[in-house]
Amino acid sequence: MRRLGLILAVILVVVLALPAVAFAQDAAGSEELQFVANTIWVMVAFVLVLFMQAGFAMLEVGFSRMKNVGSVVAKILANMGIGVLVFWAVGFGLAFGEGNALFGAEGFFLAGFEPDGIPVSLFFIFQAAFALVSLAIVWGTMLERTKFPVYLIFAVIFVGLIYPMVAHWVWGGGWLSGLGKQDFAGSTVVHLSGAMAALAGTLILGPRIGKYDDEGRPQAIHGHNMPLAVLGVLILWVGWQGFNPGSTLAAVPEIADIALTTNLAAAAGVLGGIVMSYAYRRNVDVGMAGNGAIAALVAITASCAFVAPWASVIIGFIAGIVMYASLVFFDNIGIDDPVGAIAAHGMGGVWGTLSTGFFATPALSEANGGNPGLFYGGGLGQLGVQAVGIVAAGGFVFIASLAVFALLKATIGVRVKPDEELNGLDISEHGAYGYAESLVATDHPNGNGSSNPAAATAQSRE
Amino acid sequence: MEPPIAQAAGHNNHIVSVYEDRVQITSGWQGQKVEDIGHKDISTVEVRGMVNCTLTLEINNGRVYQIGRMARPDARSIKTAIELQKQKAGLYE
Repeated sequence: MRRLGLILAVILVVVLALPAVAFAQDAAGSEELQFVANTIWVMVAFVLVLFMQAGFAMLEVGFSRMKNVGSVVAKILANMGIGVLVFWAVGFGLAFGEGNALFGAEGFFLAGFEPDGIPVSLFFIFQAAFALVSLAIVWGTMLERTKFPVYLIFAVIFVGLIYPMVAHWVWGGGWLSGLGKQDFAGSTVVHLSGAMAALAGTLILGPRIGKYDDEGRPQAIHGHNMPLAVLGVLILWVGWQGFNPGSTLAAVPEIADIALTTNLAAAAGVLGGIVMSYAYRRNVDVGMAGNGAIAALVAITASCAFVAPWASVIIGFIAGIVMYASLVFFDNIGIDDPVGAIAAHGMGGVWGTLSTGFFATPALSEANGGNPGLFYGGGLGQLGVQAVGIVAAGGFVFIASLAVFALLKATIGVRVKPDEELNGLDISEHGAYGYAESLVATDHPNGNGSSNPAAATAQSRE
Repeated sequence: MEPPIAQAAGHNNHIVSVYEDRVQITSGWQGQKVEDIGHKDISTVEVRGMVNCTLTLEINNGRVYQIGRMARPDARSIKTAIELQKQKAGLYE
C-alpha cells in the first residue's frame, strides 16, 4: 500500500512538473526558431540587395555609349571588391561600433560584436551591401570620363569613412538618431549620401565633351541600350524588396506592409515620371519612367515603415515629379549626370526623408521610433528633425567628397585625356571594348564610326 | 595623324593638344573650331590655380588664350610639353 502511494506520488509530481519543463523548452525553442527565421529572411534580403549591383550595372551600361560599357562593369566589380573589404576592416566599426555621437570606435574587423536577433556576420554583409549601393550611386553621374584610379581611391575613402559616419549618426546610435530622425532603410544614409558625393564629383569633373553646345545649352547624349537600362531599373525594383522589408532585420509580419508601401510608391513613381515627361516633351521618355520608379523607391525607403499605403502612393508620385524637374534643372545649370542619379537618388532622398515628417502615422511612429508627421497632428517637430538630418548628412557628405575630389584633381587628375574620352574608356582604361569592336561607334576621327565631322575635317586639312 | 605628346580638356569643350611642332586648340560643341599655333609663336605658357587651373598661352602677336577648369597635372603636362618642344627646337637660344 505504501509502495502504491509512493508510485502515485511520483506520477503526480511528474505530471505536474512536465508542463513546466515542456513550456520552458517551448520558450527556448521559440526563440531559437525566431533567430533562425530572422537569419533566413535577412539572408534572402541580403541577396536581393547585393543583386542591386547588377541593376546598377545594367542601368549604367544602358545609359552609356557603347564605347564605355566595359569601364562601367569593371568599375562595379572593383567597387564591390574594395567596398566589402574596407567596410569589413573599418567602415562597419565606425558605423555600428560603440562610440560617441559622431562615430563608432570599436568593432573593426567585426571584433567584439554581439549578435542581436541575427548573426553578426549576416548583419555585416547586409550593411556592406547597403554601403555598396551608396557607392554605386556616386559613379552613375561620373560615367564616361573619369579615370579608373579615381574610382578606386574614392571608394576606399567613401566606404571607409564618409558613409560610415552618416550611418552612425542615423543608425548606429549617433546624434541624429538621438533627435529621433526617421530613416527606416536609408533615404538619407544610403541614397542622399551617394547623390551628394556624386554631385561633388560631377562639379569637380565637369561635363562630358559635347554635352553642352556653344551657347551652353544641354544636348542629349543618348545611352546605347534602353532595354538594358530598363532591365537595370527592374532589377533594382526587385532588389528593393530586400532593401526595405529586409531592414526590419527580423522575420516579422510587418515586412508585408513594408513591401506594400514600397511597391505602391514605385508604381506611382513610374506614373509621375511619365506624366512629367509627357507634360514637358510631349512624349513618354522610357528612361524618365525608369528614373521615376527609382526616385519613388528612394523616397519610400525612409518612410516605408512609417506611412499608410495611400500616403506611399502620394510620396511615390511626387518623387517622380521632383526627379524630372530637378533633372531638367541640373542639366540646365551645367551638371552632366548621364543616368540622372543626382535627381533620382538625391532629390528622391530629400523628398523621402521629408515625407515621413508629413505622413508618419502615430501607430507606426510609436512602433518604429520618432514622432508622427505633420498631417497626423505631430506638428512641425518631426519635419524639422528630418530637415536637420538632410542638411547635416547631405552637407557633410558633399563637403567631405568635394575635398577628396578636389585633392584628387590637384594631384593625379580626375579626368581621362580627351582622346581617351572620345575613343571610349574601354580601350584606354581596360584594353578592350565591352562589345565587338566592329559594333562600337566612337566620336573620334581615329576611331570607327566617327561622329565628329569637324575634327575629321581638321585632320584631313593637315 | 600622330598622337599628341600631351593633351588636356578644359572648360566648354576646349581641348589642348601638344604636338611636336605645334599646339592645337580645339573648341566648339562638335570640335568645329581648330586653331594651330606653332611653338615658335608662343611667348609665354602659364598655369594658375590649384584645383580648377587656368592655362594661359600668350602668342607673339599679342593674342592670349586662356583655358580654364583644367586639372593641375594636366595643365602642367601641357606646359612642360610645350617648353620641352621649344627647347628641342632651340627656340630658347
